[in-house]
Amino acid sequence: MSLGLGLALVLLLPAAGALAVALVPRRWLPFPGFIALGVAMASLCGVLAIGSKAGAHPSFVLDWSWVPECGLSLSFLVDGLSLFFAVIVLGMGVLVLVYSRGYMAGREGDHRRFYAGLLFFMGSMLGTVFSNNLLLLFIFWELTGLASFLLIGFEHTSEEARRGARMSLLVTAVTGLVMLLGIVMLKQVTGTYDLATILRSPLPQTHKDWLDACLVLLVVGAFGKSAIFPFHFWLPNAMTAPTPVSAYLHSATMVKLGIFLCARLFPIFGERELWAPLLGVPAFSTMLLGAVLALMSSDLKAILAYSTVSQLGYLIGYYALGPNGGVDYDYLHILNHLFYKGSLFMVAGIVEHAAGSRDIGKLGGLAPRLPLTAASCAIACAAMAGLPLTTGFLSKEFMLKEIFSAFSVHGYLGSFAVVCVVLTSLLKVAFSAKIILRVFFGKEPETVTAHFHAPSAWMTLPPAVLSGCALLAGIAPSFLNPLLQPFTVPGLHAGTAEHFQIWHGWTRELWVSLAVVLAGLALYRVSHYGDRPCPGVPSYLKAERLFEWLHEKTIAAGRASVRLFQTDREQSAVLAVTAFAGVTLGAFAWKQVFAGGFGPLLQFVDFTGGMSPLRLLVGVFIVLPALGLVLFRSWGGQLACLGISGFMVTVYFVLGRAPDLALTQLLVETVSIVAIYLLLGRCAKQGLLEQWSDLPSSAMAQGLRVAVSCSVAAAVGVLILVVTGMPHHNPVGNFFIRHTEDMAHGKNAVNTILVDFRGLDTLGEITVLLAAMLGCLGLLMRYRRNSEEQKQGRDLTPGLGLGEEGKS
Amino acid sequence: MTGLSSPILRASSTLAFFMANTLSLYLLLRGHHAPGGGFIAGLVTASSVVLLGYARGPEKFGRVLGADPGLIAGIGLAVAGATALVPILFGRAALEHFFWILGNNGWSFGTALIFDVGVFLVVVGVTTKVVASFAASSCGLPALVAEEERRYSSPSEEPLEGTRAN
Repeated sequence: MSLGLGLALVLLLPAAGALAVALVPRRWLPFPGFIALGVAMASLCGVLAIGSKAGAHPSFVLDWSWVPECGLSLSFLVDGLSLFFAVIVLGMGVLVLVYSRGYMAGREGDHRRFYAGLLFFMGSMLGTVFSNNLLLLFIFWELTGLASFLLIGFEHTSEEARRGARMSLLVTAVTGLVMLLGIVMLKQVTGTYDLATILRSPLPQTHKDWLDACLVLLVVGAFGKSAIFPFHFWLPNAMTAPTPVSAYLHSATMVKLGIFLCARLFPIFGERELWAPLLGVPAFSTMLLGAVLALMSSDLKAILAYSTVSQLGYLIGYYALGPNGGVDYDYLHILNHLFYKGSLFMVAGIVEHAAGSRDIGKLGGLAPRLPLTAASCAIACAAMAGLPLTTGFLSKEFMLKEIFSAFSVHGYLGSFAVVCVVLTSLLKVAFSAKIILRVFFGKEPETVTAHFHAPSAWMTLPPAVLSGCALLAGIAPSFLNPLLQPFTVPGLHAGTAEHFQIWHGWTRELWVSLAVVLAGLALYRVSHYGDRPCPGVPSYLKAERLFEWLHEKTIAAGRASVRLFQTDREQSAVLAVTAFAGVTLGAFAWKQVFAGGFGPLLQFVDFTGGMSPLRLLVGVFIVLPALGLVLFRSWGGQLACLGISGFMVTVYFVLGRAPDLALTQLLVETVSIVAIYLLLGRCAKQGLLEQWSDLPSSAMAQGLRVAVSCSVAAAVGVLILVVTGMPHHNPVGNFFIRHTEDMAHGKNAVNTILVDFRGLDTLGEITVLLAAMLGCLGLLMRYRRNSEEQKQGRDLTPGLGLGEEGKS
Repeated sequence: MTGLSSPILRASSTLAFFMANTLSLYLLLRGHHAPGGGFIAGLVTASSVVLLGYARGPEKFGRVLGADPGLIAGIGLAVAGATALVPILFGRAALEHFFWILGNNGWSFGTALIFDVGVFLVVVGVTTKVVASFAASSCGLPALVAEEERRYSSPSEEPLEGTRAN
C-alpha cells in the first residue's frame, strides 16, 4: 500500500466513521461506541504504519489538487511533528473512547451524537496536523473549533453549556480568522501557501515589517486556540462539556493546536527579534495567572482547566525562549502534560460520577472506595507537581535548566521567565496537594456516602494507563529517548537532546525543585488551613467581563440598527421609501439629461407626432382608469381600475408586435388581480383602510404626499425617456435573434433566450419564485396581536383581517 | 362556503378548465417556435385552476389539482434543475440543450422542452398554492392542513387560521 493511499485512509476513516455513526439509523449500526473505537484504532495503526514505513526523520508531501486558482490544494506534509501529533490525537482518542463507554453508560439515546462529534473532531484534528497547505490548515483548524462547539454544547438543554459553547466558538473562530489574515499576508510575502516550501527556503530579507505583522496575526490564532491571555477565559467555561470531551479536546489535543502552530512557525520565525517577547510575555503571564486561579478554584474541573491554561502557557513559553539552533524537549513537555492532565480529567469524571459532586469542599475520603482511581490520581498529581520518579520531574528539570541558561541570553525576559516558572511550580505543588488530599483523604461527607456507586472498569482503566505511563517513563526515562528520537524535525529540533536520566546529580535545578516543593506544601498548608473553604475565583480575574460586554454591545447595536430601519406601520415608511426612490432616480435622470442635452426628450416629441389615433386611444384608456384609482374611495373600484389599466398596457405590446409579452402581461395581470383581491378581502372593514385614515392628514401632510408622488412620477417618466433614447452600441438582443435558429434550434427568440441562452437566469427566477411561495406561506402563518388581545391571552380570535365576523 | 351558487357557471367552469388547459398544452409545446412557452402556459393553467377553485369553493380550492401544489412546484424545480445538472455528468456545460429531429415530417424534440416543463410546473404550483391559501384564509378557513402548518409556523406564534377554526 502506498503512503498516499495510507494517509488518505487515515484521514478519511474518522470522517467516514462520523458520518456513518451520525446518519445510519441505529437499527442497522448498533454500538456506535465500538465503531468509533474501531475507527480510532484503525487510524492509529495506519499512522504507526506510515511512521514505520517512512523511517526516521521523514519529510514528504502528498499532493492532490483542489482549487488551484486560489492556491488551495489537498496537500499533506508528513514529518516528525505531524506524525507525533497524529499519534497523540489517535492514542488519546482510543483511551477517551474507552473511557466514554463507561461515562456515557445509561445514556444510549445520545450515543450517536456524542461519538459522531468525537470522530468529527478526530478527523479535523488529523487534517490540521497533516496540512501542508496553509489555507487547508485554516479550514481544518476552524473545523476543530466547530467540533468543539458541538461537543461543549452537548448538553444543549443547559444554559451554561450553551454559553460555554458559544464563547469558545466565538473566541477560537474569530482568532482563527485573524490567523487567516496572517496566512494570506505570509503568502503575499513568500508567494506560496505551501508550508514545506516556506520551511525549506529562508524568509525574504525584504518586507520586515510585513513579516512581523504576519507573525503577530498568526500568533493571535495560536493564542486563541490555546487559551493564552487575553483569551484564557474560554477554556474554564468550556468545562460544561462532558468530561471525556474535556479530557480529549480541552487538555490533550485541540488546545495543543496553538503549540503545534508555534512549533510549525518556530523554524520560520524563530530567529526574529519579535519572536521571544511576543510569545514569551503573554505565555509566562498566562502560566502564572492560570496557576493562581487554579489554586483559588474549588470545582475540580475548574482547577484542572486553569492548570491546563497554565501548562499551555508553559509550553508556548518554552518555544518562545528556544535558542536559535532549535528546541529539544518540547515532546517531553507535551507528553508529560498529556499523561497527567488526561488522567486527572478522567479521574474528575469518575469522582463526579461516583460521588455526585465536583466541588472539592463537598468531597473527601474516597481513597478506600476507589483505590485504583486514587492511585492514578496520586501519580498524576505527583507528575503535575513535578515530584521525582514521574515525567513531571523530568519536564520541570529540563525546563528550569533551559531557563537558567536562557537567563543571560534574553535579558529581562529571562528573569521574568525564571520568576514565573518558579512561582508556577510552587503553586502547582500546592494545588496538586489540594486535589489529592481534599478528594481522596480526610472525612467522607454524608452526601457522598449516600450517592456513591462504583464506576465501571471502562472508566477506571484509561486514567490508570495514562498515570502508569507517567510513572514508567519517570522511573525508566532512558527508553523515551529512542521513542521520541525518530520524530525530531530539522529546523525545529537541535538534535542535541541529553539522554534522559532519573538522577542528574546535585544540580542547581534539583535544589530549586526541592525548595519549590517544600514552599508549595507550606503554601497549601497556609492557604487551606483546616477546613477553610476555597476562596473561589473573583470575577475581576475571570476576564470574561470584556467578552460579555462586547457580546452584549454587539447585540445591542444590532437591535438599535434594526429599530432604526424597521417599523411596525408600513404606511409610515411608504413616504420615506418613495421619496428616496424619487431622489435617486431623479438625480440619475437629471444627470443624463444634463449630459446628453434635451435630444432624447425631443425625440419623444417626434415620436408622439407620428402616433396613430389607435395608440392615442389606448393611451387614454390606460390613463383614465389610473385617475380613477386616485379618485375612488372603495378598494373594489380601485382594484378594477388597476386591472383595466394593466390590461390596456397589453394592447401596446400587441401593437409593438410582442405577442409573448402581451400574453404574459395579460395572464400576470389576471392572476395578480385575483391575488390582491383576495388579500384585500381579508382587510375589508377595519384593516388597512382604517390604518390609512389613522394617519395624521393635515393639509400640509397631504400636500407633501402629493408632491412626492408627482415628482417621483415625473422622475420615472423622464428616466424612461432618457434610457430608451440612449443609443445601444452593441445590443445583445440582435445576437440572440440572429442565432436563435442555428444555436438554439427554435424560431421564437423570446423563448430560446428564456430556456437556452439565459437558461441559468430562468432557473434562478423559478427558484426565487418557489422561495417567495414558501415565504408567503410562512407569513400567512404569522399572527400579530394588537395590545388588547395580548392582554387577554392566546385564545382570542385574531385581529388583523377577520374583524367583527370572526369574533361573533 | 361552497363556491358559486349558479349551477350553469359551475358546470361551464369545468368546461372552461379543459379548454384552457388544451390551449395551455398547445402553448407549452409550440413555445420554442411561436409565442408561448412554459411561463405563459403555466399562467394559463394557473388561471384555469383559479377559476375552477372559485367555482368549487375555497375548501376544495387547494385540492383542485389532486396533489399538493407546493409539491408540484418542487417537482418542477427539480426537473428544471435536472436539465441543468445532467449535462455536467456527461462532461458538457450546465444547461446545455440537445436537439433531435424526429423523422422527416418536421417534428423535433429538444431537451429545452423538459426545462420548459419544469418552469411550467413551478409557475402552476406556486400560483395555485399562494392563491388557494389566500382564498381559504380570507374566508376564515385554515389556509394549510395541520401538517403543513407545523412546517411554516413558528412555535411561539399561533397560526392565524388555526385559532379561527375552533
